[in-house]
Amino acid sequence: MSRKLTLALAAFLCSLSLLAQEYTGGVKGTVVNRADREPVAGATLTLYQGAVVVATAQADEAGNFLIENLQDGLYDLVLEAPEFLQTRVNVTVVDGYVKNMFKLSMSQAKMSSQEDADDLAEFDPDGGGYNDNPTVLFGQNDVFSNIAGYNFSSVRFRVRGLANESQEVYLAGVKMNDALTGYGPFSLWSGLNEATRTKMSTSGAESSDYAVGGVNGVTNIPGTASYVRKGLRGSVLTNSALYRLRLMLSYGSGPLDNGWSYAFNVSTRLGGNDWIRGVYYRSFAYYGSVEKKFDDTHKLSAIFMAAPGQRGAQMAATQEVYDLMGDNLYNPNWGYQNGRVRNARVRKTHEPIAVLKYDYTPTERFSASATLLYRFGKNGYTALDWNDAADPKPDYYRNLPSYFQFDNEDLQRYSEIKAAWVDDSWRVMRDPSITQINWDRLYNVNRNNRDAYGKARSKYIQEERRVDQRDLNFAASLKWRPKDWFTMNAGFNARINRTENYKIVADLLGGDYYLNTNNFAERDFASLEARYQYDLDYYFANGKAQVLSVGDKYGYDYLAQIRNYGLWANGRFAVGRFSATLAGKLGYTRFWRDGLMRNGLFAGTWPSGGEIIDPASGTNLTSYDAKTGEPISSYGKSRKVNFLTYALKANAEYLIGGHSRIYANVAYLTDAPSFNKSFISPRTRNTLMNGLTTSKTFSTDLNYQLSTGGFNVRATLYYTTINDQSDVMSVYDDLQNAFTNFALTNIDQRNMGVELGFKVPTGLSGLSLQGVLAWGEYIYTSTPRLTQTVDNSSNIVLEDEIVPYWKSHPVYMTNEEGRYWLDEQGNYIFDHHQKHYIPGTPQLAASLGLAWNHNYWFLELNGDYFSNSYLAMNPLFRMDVVSAGADGVVTPDEVDYMAAQEKFAPCFLLNASVGKSWYIQRKYQLGFSLNMKNLLNNKNVKTGGFEQNRIVDNTQDEVRFYKFDPKYFYMSGFNYMLNIYFRF
Amino acid sequence: MLAVAAALVSCQEWQPVFTGTYPSPQDYEKVTLEPTMTLGELAAMYQHGSPITFDYEQDIIVGGKISSSDETGNFYKSFYIQDETGGMEIKMGKTSLYADYKEGQMIYVKLPGLTVGEYGFKVLKNYDDGPSGGSGMVQIGYVYEYLPGTEPEYETSYLDAQVLINEHIIRGEIGEKVEPVVLEEQDLPSRTATLADCPAIGKLVTIKGLTYGNEIFTLAYVNSNDNHKNSSNRIFLSDQTYGVTTWAMSKNKFIENLDKGLFDAVNIGNAGDYNYGTVADPENKESIRTTATAATVSQYFKKGNTDVIIRTSGYAKFADAEIPKAVLEGKATVDVTGVMTLYQGDIQIVVNRLSDIVVNE
Repeated sequence: MSRKLTLALAAFLCSLSLLAQEYTGGVKGTVVNRADREPVAGATLTLYQGAVVVATAQADEAGNFLIENLQDGLYDLVLEAPEFLQTRVNVTVVDGYVKNMFKLSMSQAKMSSQEDADDLAEFDPDGGGYNDNPTVLFGQNDVFSNIAGYNFSSVRFRVRGLANESQEVYLAGVKMNDALTGYGPFSLWSGLNEATRTKMSTSGAESSDYAVGGVNGVTNIPGTASYVRKGLRGSVLTNSALYRLRLMLSYGSGPLDNGWSYAFNVSTRLGGNDWIRGVYYRSFAYYGSVEKKFDDTHKLSAIFMAAPGQRGAQMAATQEVYDLMGDNLYNPNWGYQNGRVRNARVRKTHEPIAVLKYDYTPTERFSASATLLYRFGKNGYTALDWNDAADPKPDYYRNLPSYFQFDNEDLQRYSEIKAAWVDDSWRVMRDPSITQINWDRLYNVNRNNRDAYGKARSKYIQEERRVDQRDLNFAASLKWRPKDWFTMNAGFNARINRTENYKIVADLLGGDYYLNTNNFAERDFASLEARYQYDLDYYFANGKAQVLSVGDKYGYDYLAQIRNYGLWANGRFAVGRFSATLAGKLGYTRFWRDGLMRNGLFAGTWPSGGEIIDPASGTNLTSYDAKTGEPISSYGKSRKVNFLTYALKANAEYLIGGHSRIYANVAYLTDAPSFNKSFISPRTRNTLMNGLTTSKTFSTDLNYQLSTGGFNVRATLYYTTINDQSDVMSVYDDLQNAFTNFALTNIDQRNMGVELGFKVPTGLSGLSLQGVLAWGEYIYTSTPRLTQTVDNSSNIVLEDEIVPYWKSHPVYMTNEEGRYWLDEQGNYIFDHHQKHYIPGTPQLAASLGLAWNHNYWFLELNGDYFSNSYLAMNPLFRMDVVSAGADGVVTPDEVDYMAAQEKFAPCFLLNASVGKSWYIQRKYQLGFSLNMKNLLNNKNVKTGGFEQNRIVDNTQDEVRFYKFDPKYFYMSGFNYMLNIYFRF
Repeated sequence: MLAVAAALVSCQEWQPVFTGTYPSPQDYEKVTLEPTMTLGELAAMYQHGSPITFDYEQDIIVGGKISSSDETGNFYKSFYIQDETGGMEIKMGKTSLYADYKEGQMIYVKLPGLTVGEYGFKVLKNYDDGPSGGSGMVQIGYVYEYLPGTEPEYETSYLDAQVLINEHIIRGEIGEKVEPVVLEEQDLPSRTATLADCPAIGKLVTIKGLTYGNEIFTLAYVNSNDNHKNSSNRIFLSDQTYGVTTWAMSKNKFIENLDKGLFDAVNIGNAGDYNYGTVADPENKESIRTTATAATVSQYFKKGNTDVIIRTSGYAKFADAEIPKAVLEGKATVDVTGVMTLYQGDIQIVVNRLSDIVVNE
């Protein structure tokens, strides 16, 4: 390694500006990997005196560092590097000498897990509310996040039980959470693992250098060329749970002498997997970045990247279907077309991101940056649509044995013989035209449905729901350290988002055309053609419904217009061993819906304000909201809503010795409701939910952290409440052939618990013991209000009704046989309120394992235990109208049957990984890692699910209603991932 | 490596999931079978009150052309087939059947495992105001299973299950639509007729020159969610028109008529059991309105001296179509084409579409 390069890369050190005097003392050493003694290039070193930052430095390519100009004294040196756990050491500088620490070792974070953990099988969003984001972000320096992130992702563990939206993710300083939903943006760069490898993270309510953040951590991915690891890297990866093959190539130039850096990263992910049929990848990714440092003061960087591709999705099914198929990972989304597997539900995306960033570093104590970021492109999701035809889903409830025969006589299903035949057709014959989508039939039906002109009007089509964003962002921030004991960060951000939501005809499946009409409304308004037009303006102009070809928009079309502006600042003060941070932000959010297609059911008014009269029938199509008196409109701009939000945070930290710290956070913040949770039926009308308000979050945590010499421990106690939330759940209702929307307001929740993560040496060479524990109670604490609408109908099914059994339901005393005790007056005797829990994550998750590193080998074995997972609730089942049943009388038995929340069985999993790398001629490196998950091949682990929207109300006794079975998602059985990588 | 990637992407057989362009599937195979029995012979095997379930040793196949369509919603979950000897309903149990089963298409029914039974039979009795009761229709369906200890409601059930349809209902060539048989008054079936007496039963027929009979029949309910068998729940609209001038009543139309007071005077309950007040009672009316469903209507006509009912489902797309005024006033006759059925001896015509009713101005 040339001395010149070393100098070029070597860290700078901060002069102690308080003292004009120069010191001769210092500290130097080499940062190495604890496992193989290889240097850790680029490690960041921060030297503290108490809580005061005295100097920062960066290790060069050989892991060497040097910090000079230090006064004699006792210091704490904190080492941090991507993929390594943080380490702290004590340093004493005496007699003005440069203290040589020789080799300072750091424990490697999970190297095996880094490869592709942010890819999870895509779940169907209808009803499940799932998305394909990683459930735990890899806080690379944090021992808890590191181990939990790898071991818990397969059960969709969520940190502190908080929603995905609560994790703030930044790219080059710009917040990238989706403007409409708040979801994490990881799918935008999935497959670009090398380009996005470097991350800076905080956890919990901690503030960061990039933002004040929320209560569930802030992650910033710098993403520019100089952060991509130097050299050419390639990898070949195969795995059995997601896709067959991933190929990836990346190159980072590192900072060149002329001030330029450049980098690229490309990859492809292809094929199906061993567990879920129909789920496949045909994904690509590209990334390029250049960076130019003009002098030490100015730097300009640019990024362009995207992850285009297709992914087949999985859909949940009922346990009955899984049992019939003998497979908990049965996927009803696919079927054979000409003998080939075709998935009806495919995510098709291409959403590029362009970034321009300017960094200004005039002095060591002041730096600023500004970023302009633009996201655009298309995001599509296909599904089957049909008009006046039978439901093509193979697991439609009328296609199952339970529809014909049921043990409970009240359900009046006595067709045992038919049930036996149906059971046989699934379980024994396994006829794919029955157990999967019958594509061949759909084509035949379409081709044979000839109109008077001999043209085939498709009855079944594949639609593509599009959410196409144009997202323009600007963020500027500065960091200023006027005094050693005071550092401040501040910034401004602005976002203009215009997202067009619509659907197109993706495939006519053998037919010639489709019509832009509303089949369900046609049933209600057969004689009033205008009412069942999806595009009334087209109908008025042309006298008939639009004839649709492939690519045409239909059904609905609207813009989500969202504006966000924010100002924030935080300041860190340090005195002795104590430091404190205060942070605050102010935000302004404004959004509205702008309908582009006038639906015959929600015609609204003409721009003049005049009512819309159907010329053919003379019917007045304009209808009015009973409460507000405003016309109900699908077209034009909705009312614009504004929210002023703020956040206040405080953090205090105390250092104990040189290796550990105690710190606490407290935060109170308000958030605007997201666009997607603000309209009662966003696809069809401008109507906003009643009582829309900001959500209020309070959070506090207390933490202890130890990191030194291979010991890494973090323990946390936390308590969080989030009040006044709104939610809109869209569930496909096959009774109505449309989405039904449950708009909920006034949802409160409380999440509290403990987190513990540790990795400690065992005393045996290279062997560490590691584990995590996440144990919490995440519950609902309020009685929300519900408005239920159906996309295809102007009726409001339920309006602003309370949901009495949402947070809990009453349980009454029973004897051993389940009979209710009655008191002297003949009343039921109250026993307790059964709490209802936040679903979708285990509330108790624990892992214990051994990790062994030696001579470039690593070996790991972890056992995981998960418990206290709950099924997501359908608000309808928590209401008296449904509990009461046909007789209208609510009994404890009925409430308990309807409202009780399903708790999933606990489970134990075993995971192992092994890897090794070789240096060839000290220039090239070749290595592999093999991760094996679920070694016990446990195929009965529910990871989530949802309750269907249907009830059985046609009973013999006409007393009570029955629920349809819920649908579940299960985890894959044993699966592996083998990655072979090389570096030049 | 990029070349390898490109090769893999273009590889059409990248299994297990194909991601290229899907070739269009073949047309389904249209089978030709040799019927072993006519529909008339099949109907002749049936005796009132004794449904026949064919066992698997009996290799019986019947065949016929489809004469009905559920496209407009007037037929529901079934279609009619006919051969030279008569027509018969196949109780399929699926909706939107016209997507898969075309008018004019040859259908073969493999009877082993299926059940033949009758719907709408009632013993003929002569009352002072005329005869009542008579033949129903012999149908092909599945065995009707019911809770032991209870009375079976029907003699057959729907096939319902796709596996049974695949097994028993075989689709043949799609030919020209069935030509209706034109019937004069003397050709119309007697109250107790069977296919043996009148092969036009169950077939697509045309009857010309019908005059309006000024009478409807409809059964509505006080609470349509409650037991339809209870006398206290039943509302009979019969013997007059009540001012109903449409072929049937959709839910909206029914409520509209209810609110107009058209049915106010109607007693609730079976004939001879008028102990439950009238429709006009506020409590009844509220319940009728909130649980209202579409109402199927029998519109009575006369062919000469014989009653011919045009029966239309309240779920038909043309349910609320007005009967032309000239017809209602007796100034015009209608020619009707539809499937002719017997219900308790009454002749009922069910049309495929509104254009099957032609007004002679």
